[in-house]
Amino acid sequence: MFSLVSPKPRRLRAGVLVVVSLAGLGLPGLAPMAVRAHHSFAMFDFTSTAEAAATVEEFRWTNPHVVLVVKADASPSAPAKLWSLELTSPGNLTRLGWTRRSFNPGDRIQVQFHPLRDGRQGGAFAKATFVASGKVLESNLRAQEKPGLQ
Amino acid sequence: MRTIFIASALLVSSGGSIARAEPPTTATTATTTLINAPPRAKDWAKLAQLPDWSGVWNPNVSDQNAQIVSNPMPWKPELLPQIEHLQTEEKAGRPKGLFVDCLPEAMPSWMLITHNALEFVYAPGRVLILGELDGNRLRRIYTDGRPHPDDPDPSFHGHSIGHWEGTTLVVDTIGILPETYVAVSESVGLPNNGDVHVIERFHLGDKDVLHDDIEIIAPHVLTRPFKTTRKYFRQRARKYEIIEGVCLQGYFSSRRDAHGNAVFVPIPQTEGGNPVPPKE
Repeated sequence: MFSLVSPKPRRLRAGVLVVVSLAGLGLPGLAPMAVRAHHSFAMFDFTSTAEAAATVEEFRWTNPHVVLVVKADASPSAPAKLWSLELTSPGNLTRLGWTRRSFNPGDRIQVQFHPLRDGRQGGAFAKATFVASGKVLESNLRAQEKPGLQ
Repeated sequence: MRTIFIASALLVSSGGSIARAEPPTTATTATTTLINAPPRAKDWAKLAQLPDWSGVWNPNVSDQNAQIVSNPMPWKPELLPQIEHLQTEEKAGRPKGLFVDCLPEAMPSWMLITHNALEFVYAPGRVLILGELDGNRLRRIYTDGRPHPDDPDPSFHGHSIGHWEGTTLVVDTIGILPETYVAVSESVGLPNNGDVHVIERFHLGDKDVLHDDIEIIAPHVLTRPFKTTRKYFRQRARKYEIIEGVCLQGYFSSRRDAHGNAVFVPIPQTEGGNPVPPKE
């Protein structure tokens, strides 16, 4: 089941829809995430945000990038697909309040991400909403760019 | 001190029997033996007079990016085609992964582009900078008055000596591997090609803001000494403490083998270092 935010959503791949394109719209927010550690994040298309209903398969709490592996639900025309979504490091996520147990296999989520430009099944994580609780997790490293946070 | 062990374990065959040549001997050069003197109580007490840089320091990434634009690296003209190619590839979504092999960013790029926390540790005769990203993100800055070695073994972070000018730590670094990058991002930078000299002045810009004023002398890639500043901000809460981070771990997933042992298994990834799901 997919939520369609854009008036003209573009189907990106099976199980995933591009919900909004920021290019040329002058919209604030959704700037490239500051999560580069050992590779640039220029390979992700930050002008597009894909959204999918998905089930968490694996949450790898590892440097240099934490990885969330999800299986996006099947659509009427395509089977379910696995996606590897990258985040910043465990240390940086810890400072944002995340833990290695923030996601668990089987969690049902609505997830947004910026897909790889080359068409492979990877992306830069943007936001997840837990279906059961409504809890939202985001990964904005710059949100902590000030001293004295508690 | 340079100690030379004379290889003398040569086995000599003689008349069907095996005879050992002269036993190992040790020869010592006439140079003065340099000693790391054991610290005394007053050496530890002196540390209490230094500025308080305890806590975890995070780089201000927004400021990093702003400075990269406003204060560009003075690349040599003949190198600009390489830089422009890297920039074009980055903009096109095909970034060159300068550090995707998990080797250290090295000096000075660690200080220039890191997105990860670090901490300072004072000890008699040295200041340590410990980075979060990997166990080998470590700088030893000798503050005991020693000079640089005449011919230091090149290393990722070089040989650093430092001294305090009031509350400012002045650090001088040479001996950096020529293969390491002078980088402005994870995908734009060039090998320094040798003879790099880095001079830094660490000082507090505000109560919880640390400045690293950096001067980079890289004669094979830059037209002139390049000066820039990187800012780090401090958190005191324990939840911000540095945690272990091993870069190569990201290339593996945790699984169980046929015996039930917990094991690391490689995960598929793109040439750019992006993990991708296994084929279904």
